Amino acid sequence: MLDTIRELSAINGISGRENAVCEAIISRLPAYCDYTVDAMGNLLVEVKGKTKAKNRVMLAAHMDEVGLIVTYITDDGLIKFTNVGGVETAVLLGRRVKVGEKGLVGVIGVVPIHLRDGDDEYKYPEKDSLYIDVGADSAEELKDLVAPGDAVTFDSEPYALGHCYKGKALDDRAGCAVLLDLVKEQPDFDLALAFTVQEEVGLRGAGCAAFSLNPDYAIVVETTTAADIAGAEGEKKVCELGKGAVVPFMDRSTVYSPKLFQRAQELAREKGFLMQTKTMVAGGNDAGIIHKTAGGVPTVTVSFACRYLHSPSCVIHRDDIDQMRRAAEAIAEELANA
Amino acid sequence: MELFDLMKKLTDCDGTSGDETNAAAVAKAELEKYMPCEIDRMGSVVGSTGAVGQPILLDAHLDQIGLIVTAIDETGFLKITACGGADALVLAAAEVTVHGKENLPGIIVSTPPHLIKEDERKKARKITELSVDLGLTKEEAEQKVAVGDRITLNAPLKKMLNERVCGASLDDRCGVASLLLCLERLGDLVKELPLRVVFSANEETGGSGAKVAAYSAGASEAIAVDVSFAKAPGVKETVRAKLGKGTMIGFAPTLDHAMSKELQRLAEEGNIPYQFEVMSGRTGTNADDIATAGHGAKMALLSIPLRNMHTAAEVIDLRDVEATADLMAAYLKNKAVKKDA
Repeated sequence: MLDTIRELSAINGISGRENAVCEAIISRLPAYCDYTVDAMGNLLVEVKGKTKAKNRVMLAAHMDEVGLIVTYITDDGLIKFTNVGGVETAVLLGRRVKVGEKGLVGVIGVVPIHLRDGDDEYKYPEKDSLYIDVGADSAEELKDLVAPGDAVTFDSEPYALGHCYKGKALDDRAGCAVLLDLVKEQPDFDLALAFTVQEEVGLRGAGCAAFSLNPDYAIVVETTTAADIAGAEGEKKVCELGKGAVVPFMDRSTVYSPKLFQRAQELAREKGFLMQTKTMVAGGNDAGIIHKTAGGVPTVTVSFACRYLHSPSCVIHRDDIDQMRRAAEAIAEELANA
Repeated sequence: MELFDLMKKLTDCDGTSGDETNAAAVAKAELEKYMPCEIDRMGSVVGSTGAVGQPILLDAHLDQIGLIVTAIDETGFLKITACGGADALVLAAAEVTVHGKENLPGIIVSTPPHLIKEDERKKARKITELSVDLGLTKEEAEQKVAVGDRITLNAPLKKMLNERVCGASLDDRCGVASLLLCLERLGDLVKELPLRVVFSANEETGGSGAKVAAYSAGASEAIAVDVSFAKAPGVKETVRAKLGKGTMIGFAPTLDHAMSKELQRLAEEGNIPYQFEVMSGRTGTNADDIATAGHGAKMALLSIPLRNMHTAAEVIDLRDVEATADLMAAYLKNKAVKKDA
């Protein structure tokens, strides 16, 4: 599955521009999967299992990634931008990006440390002062190369980092890869998969996907902030890499069903997969819209613990990949037969 | 060799201040094509043509800024501090290489919002408050990394539009490239000139490499090549140099005015693009130390304009590297002509 994670995370697809990711996923769907791409761009997949399921279970993962979008090109050939999804200035200064369809090599400028006086040494510049430099000296030079509305993504190669794996857009291509892996071989029961769009700009695709697929239960397969870094103690770590699938009881978009949360913990013990929960109520994901779609859909979230989320360097633990798959599969099976 | 390829070679190797071994090996191999050379006590690459006459010293610094490991945390994260003028603003979630027993990939931590107090959001953490994530346990990290090991920012050299390139350590490997290119331009004349070429260690941490190499060279005349600030948004008005508009000829009380003027005259004569860089005292480069080493030397400074200094997003224009090489070559050719006359 690591190969799929690598391949999918390397594709560029900010919110609203998920097409290339969608095509890559379609090309990996086996023959017993029927799919449609809806008006918003969600990829909806019906997976024919060996038997009919008692309940209709939908697994969802979002295709989009955070990034930037070109807003303006200055007379002297610099590119102004704004963020798509939550991107902090801290992870932008002095970074490399890929601009537009042609993937122009660009860097985000920063006033050199030598020229920042006193207090400014550590102060982040205002977001609207930031710009991308692609080597042009005039807007004229960029006429056929860049235009407002073009997507900008982090230039960041995926690779192994000790026991972990680093890449951009692991949020949520890692989740997409888990869904693909679950249907790599024909599952025992029917499943619905939703590869959603526009999660990072306000959970906009998943509601329509859930509405169309009309499931009895949903499982959101995601990544979530892990703060198990040097200096963080106790509950402030939220969750930890290498400690298994993260199943939250509550986050900022959803209060999960206590019954399902309880059942997930029992399943982890029964089936022997590693599971942890979040020790702070933080973050949110497509569950926030799916659970209140139509007449309501009881939803469980299963996440990779991920360090440096929404940066060019997302980091997940390689041991968690298998745990995630096992957790998603066990919970899906449980809900299908509940 | 194409200039980009030479630059790629020179920037693909690491050489933080005081630990320039790898960069020195690459630079030495290139310099050996033109003259015998060795690595001196301070770690600088020092070459000499052996030709008779008053030695002329050419200098560019070899070292780059980076980080240095100060401790290994109980969680296996590395605690760090700056090695030279590293910039805390560009480090959150940055990709680095830790030069331990082997080269290890690392990520500098980016602190999640819930761990940052509201009033601290607008400021970067000090480098000593950051750490490097290797994805390893404490025991594994301790086997591979030691306190004092160096860390560099990852940014393989890439082409941008025009003749621009971006990468880390362009400060001052592009200066090294300009000296090598100058030697290539001089061709057979190199052997006849009493040149001392120094790719100096330790510039970013105080200039000690150039100081001792200049003393050993005993030159009465020297040109240093470094990078300087190019105009960019947010950079103060007084920074006027533009990328791609030529080499910057330094004028300063600490530089020899006649040499600066002569370089300007030769640039005019040879249609070599140049710009002015006027400073009011010290230059903040090796020129300050070379000029006052031993008996002292007449000193000139050429600078290559660069954006985003001391980050992994340094940008230069290769045409400025060429202009710098051309102007030095013109100066040295002119010397040879005078000597013959």
